[in-house]
Amino acid sequence: MGVATVSTLIHSLDVDVELAERHRCGDTQAFNEVYARFEEMVYNLAFRLSGNYEEAADLTQEIFLRVYRHLGSFGGRSTLKTWIFRIAINHCRDRLSRWRPLTQPLGDDPGEGEVTYADPSRGPEELAVAADEGRRVAEGLARLPSAFREAVVLRDIEGLSYEEIAEVLGVRIGTVRSRIARGRDQLRALLEIRS
Amino acid sequence: MKRHLSTEQLSSFVDAEIGHAEMRELELHLEACPYCRSRLSSMRRLVVEIRQMERATPPRDLAYQVKAQVVAHGEVRTLERRVRDFFRSLVFDPSVRAATAMGLGTVMVAGFLLWQSVPPVPPPHHGANVLKVSTTFGETPLGLPETTSEVAGREFVWSGDRWVQKGLEWRQPDARVMLASPEGQAMISRHADLMLLLTDGSRVVMRYRLGTVELSKG
Ligand SMILES: [Zn+2]
Repeated sequence: MGVATVSTLIHSLDVDVELAERHRCGDTQAFNEVYARFEEMVYNLAFRLSGNYEEAADLTQEIFLRVYRHLGSFGGRSTLKTWIFRIAINHCRDRLSRWRPLTQPLGDDPGEGEVTYADPSRGPEELAVAADEGRRVAEGLARLPSAFREAVVLRDIEGLSYEEIAEVLGVRIGTVRSRIARGRDQLRALLEIRS
Repeated sequence: MKRHLSTEQLSSFVDAEIGHAEMRELELHLEACPYCRSRLSSMRRLVVEIRQMERATPPRDLAYQVKAQVVAHGEVRTLERRVRDFFRSLVFDPSVRAATAMGLGTVMVAGFLLWQSVPPVPPPHHGANVLKVSTTFGETPLGLPETTSEVAGREFVWSGDRWVQKGLEWRQPDARVMLASPEGQAMISRHADLMLLLTDGSRVVMRYRLGTVELSKG
């Protein structure tokens, strides 16, 4: 990590801690700022994990209520971004496992080559995006075991670094590396089969 | 480096999430190996495809809904804290402790009923909303932990993804109860203010009829 990166990180941590401090002191604008900064990211994460626009809106709403409830206790041990993503991922896992079984247990080493399928009743049209290519990728993504899908979504859709993903998922960087690689590999295989 | 690159190495190489020495080693192998070069380019194509997927735009009214919910929640929390603070100031005297406990229960239930009867975002000129109660109890105390909550005469701790009654943090629930079920309805009729915790979809683990019960909205 270069000097510039470190000082940027320290600066953004200061901003994050200050937001939490303001929230603790009852400044309602603080939460609005947090919401404006992360709404789009959280909504997209929820959409890619649930594969459903309405579900994504509900999840986003619930996630931000949790963020609101706990923002005062944010202490700056991580960035606000990874802190919010961690809440978001945990909430999505918790909620989505209620109406459909996890496509893959969240252990660190899902079996090689195992591809399980998400509930087919979540119609492909719900996953549809404008481009046909995008739709194919989205459908493939929805079919990945959830541990791999989470890692690929955090990396390629949300643009988090491996270090940030490790923090969000609470696993080691080596595990992140392996989940991303295997997720991509399975996705590539799925897209080849279907093309 | 004689062996072909592993999928993990290719994937980390695309992300540049690799140390300098290993990066150099992989580059040397790639220069010499058309097979791995072609695998690298198909990995790159895939990553570009994923990243080019259109991002979903949050619905326009989502921000409004979230803020409305948060305002409603904030008012309940404020009421909760003020009531708690008020009664804490009394409980230093043991002779009023029992009476206080009863009073807290009554006020919490009253607060809950009042809160249930108001819309999520009370218009500012509306007289009959929860905020009115606050004038009785003075300023909001700062610095109380956000992650504990006293309802139903018990202390609940936010634990990972649910509210757990203090002392039960390490216990597996003996039963799981849905709010809509007869058992759930019986629980909520005895402890109406549990709705404060359940309202956003959180689960609540508590002691009930000699067992540890997890209550959820469904
Ligand atoms: Zn090779």
